[in-house]
Amino acid sequence: MFPLLYSLRLGFFRVNVGQQDVFIGLANYARAFKDPNVWNAARVTLTFVLIGVTIQLILGLLFALLFNRALPARGVLRTIMTLPLFATPIGIGYMFITIFHEEGGFIRASLGAKIPWLSNPDWALVSVILVDIWNWTPFVFIVLLAALQSIPEEYYEAARLESSSQWELFRYITLPILQPSIILVLVLRMSEAFKVFDIPFSLTSGGPGIATETFSMLTFNTYRRFFDFGYGSALAYLLLIAVAIIVTSFFGRIRQAYT
Amino acid sequence: MRKIISYLVLASLFFGWAIAQENIRWGDDGSLTIITADDREEITIPADQVGTLFGPGEQPFAGQRIAITVNTGGPKGGISGPLHQFRPAWEQLTGAKLDIVEMPLPEQLPTTINDLRLGLNQFDGFIEGAWYMGEYVTPGFIIPVDEYINDGRFPQWDPAWWPDSLRKIHQWDGQTYATLNDSDGQVLYWRNDILTDPEWQTAYEEEVGSPMPFPVKTWDDVIAIAKFFDGKNWDDNDPDPDSGIVMHFKVNAQGHFHFMTMSASYVVRPGDTVDRCTNNYWFDPATMEPLINQPGHVKALEKLKELAQYGPEAQAAWDLTEGWDYFMRGKAIFTFSWGDVGSLVQDPTRSQIQGKLGASIVPGSTEVYNMCSNEWETLDEPNVVGNTTGGSWQGIISSRSPNPEAVYSLYALMATAPVHTWNTQRGWTGVDPGVSIDFLPPNGTATLEGYIDAGWNASDVEFYTQAYYDNFYADTMLPYIRINGTEEYWRALDQNLSEAMIGRLEPQEALDRTAEAWKGITERRGLDLQLKQYQEAVGYQP
Repeated sequence: MFPLLYSLRLGFFRVNVGQQDVFIGLANYARAFKDPNVWNAARVTLTFVLIGVTIQLILGLLFALLFNRALPARGVLRTIMTLPLFATPIGIGYMFITIFHEEGGFIRASLGAKIPWLSNPDWALVSVILVDIWNWTPFVFIVLLAALQSIPEEYYEAARLESSSQWELFRYITLPILQPSIILVLVLRMSEAFKVFDIPFSLTSGGPGIATETFSMLTFNTYRRFFDFGYGSALAYLLLIAVAIIVTSFFGRIRQAYT
Repeated sequence: MRKIISYLVLASLFFGWAIAQENIRWGDDGSLTIITADDREEITIPADQVGTLFGPGEQPFAGQRIAITVNTGGPKGGISGPLHQFRPAWEQLTGAKLDIVEMPLPEQLPTTINDLRLGLNQFDGFIEGAWYMGEYVTPGFIIPVDEYINDGRFPQWDPAWWPDSLRKIHQWDGQTYATLNDSDGQVLYWRNDILTDPEWQTAYEEEVGSPMPFPVKTWDDVIAIAKFFDGKNWDDNDPDPDSGIVMHFKVNAQGHFHFMTMSASYVVRPGDTVDRCTNNYWFDPATMEPLINQPGHVKALEKLKELAQYGPEAQAAWDLTEGWDYFMRGKAIFTFSWGDVGSLVQDPTRSQIQGKLGASIVPGSTEVYNMCSNEWETLDEPNVVGNTTGGSWQGIISSRSPNPEAVYSLYALMATAPVHTWNTQRGWTGVDPGVSIDFLPPNGTATLEGYIDAGWNASDVEFYTQAYYDNFYADTMLPYIRINGTEEYWRALDQNLSEAMIGRLEPQEALDRTAEAWKGITERRGLDLQLKQYQEAVGYQP
């Protein structure tokens, strides 16, 4: 608890290391709401979470459905599918620089396509989201595949007496049974994605400009680049509160659905 | 017999190992030859420069262990490389151990300052950017080295080699805190083979309707030439079109230095005094009001944006090495950057343009904004402003180090004329020239043969050394700030500049935001303290 309480305290002070801390009440929090960089970081983070996690969920589910069937070399393919999950995100970011590099990168060299992956603000955000999707879709895949494999075959056999439509089987059997796992995956992924730091840090440094500066990066920069510990703590708490609200509301939905 | 053979084999293995590990050699005349770690190159320091501390069989710091921080780069990286290369020799000379602690540029100041402020004292010395010095000196975290410099025990180098412009950023309040290592300043580089080609000059005149303004005198000349060449395949190195210029604007890296260098001629008015509108750039020295959003700065940013149009789009996300590589691959007519470019061009493994290089002090502007009268002044001759833009990465010593003499002995060894020259003549070291022993006569004491022996092209050397001499000895210099919080002021500038360069903010808006951020930093750090430091830094007399 100490770090949490200590940083909570810092958020109410103007802190210059080596000088006496000055109590300023809620001034750091008020400053955050007027700071254009905060609104930018909030927009970047929300875009990243909504687009990235949605695509991860869809792709992870599709792959899980695919791998839930009898496939040749399914075990090997499943292992390969999960490999990105075990890579270090900061290393992934640096590795993707060599893929996205606009003059000598892999995509430019192999496809000849000159796409401003990292120099254009919109494309840079797309790049960060793509890398995160590559990194985290396997997580969604593993969890949902496990859930799929736990559905008893008898459910489908009984249902096939009523309908042979694959869509109806999915809609009325698979999806309802998967729903708790999907919500769990969503909660876990969203709470992680809201704190994303490593990939934009290594891939784009938050740029160009501040086009890919996420909330965690802004907090880090405020702390480490600007030594503004009071304001940095206030930003960290704002993110904590936002993530807590979202996670709590999701758990609320789960409780509503299953009690 | 078998036993004897075994002993002989063992003995030969041992002596072979010992010879392979030799990192120093003493001459009969007392000279010292040090051998670099990787390439086993030999550098001989004459006896009168070695100092009395070191000697055959002497190990004055035996048992000591020192830790020095430096930018991440590894054994062949900029600034970090020399530490790695000379470590074995220094360890053999002193008997001490050297731990090289590498960290990325943006992490260096926060990590070391945290260490010092919290009293952890993990580091004995730092190879730091000159703009950090205020953070280290004012709380007493580092020690002056004047006594050591004058102490005949240590390897000998001479602070008189520095031009005033560079000496100032190694000193604080009249005392020397940093030793000679790197000399940073940005000059203009160009493809001399293309710009002096009569066919291209004719083509320029036919297309533009006026003769090519070469040699360039103003930034407008650079823009005009870059515009003409951009998109044309003027170099047959590949089938793709080439660029007029290349720069680097990756955020949280070093893109803001381009702006500082270019804007100086629109902002810094020459004169004998220092006040708001003379020999000044950053803040009003009477009030600490940020001047970064004044019309001179804004116009310079507009010009920088205009010039950047004639470079590769990707430069918005490039750091300096990517920009340099693009230029060295023969893809851009111009760049303006540090001394690394001139020396890296000489490396045929990285460069396709050796012998094709031109260089000069950066051009000027025929308009300069007077921040006292709030009017533009038009000049007959361009206002050319030299700069010490960059870090001039320099060795400083922690006041809490238990082994300051050992640290200084390492720095001094690297500052001796033979070692310094070896460093500056090899591009990968990141150590750039700027002192009298780097310049050719009559500007200095270096020799053309020395550079040629190190693999340089004679024409490139002459352009390069003259450009740096003119830059560091310019009548008007861009003031250098290194007050507390310089890193923060520059980071705020860098982010907003990057936003402007990608078109998300207009130049005025970007610099207004910077000024607001600077006010906040000044307020948080304390106006009185910041003002006092700034006045000292720029030499303002209230």
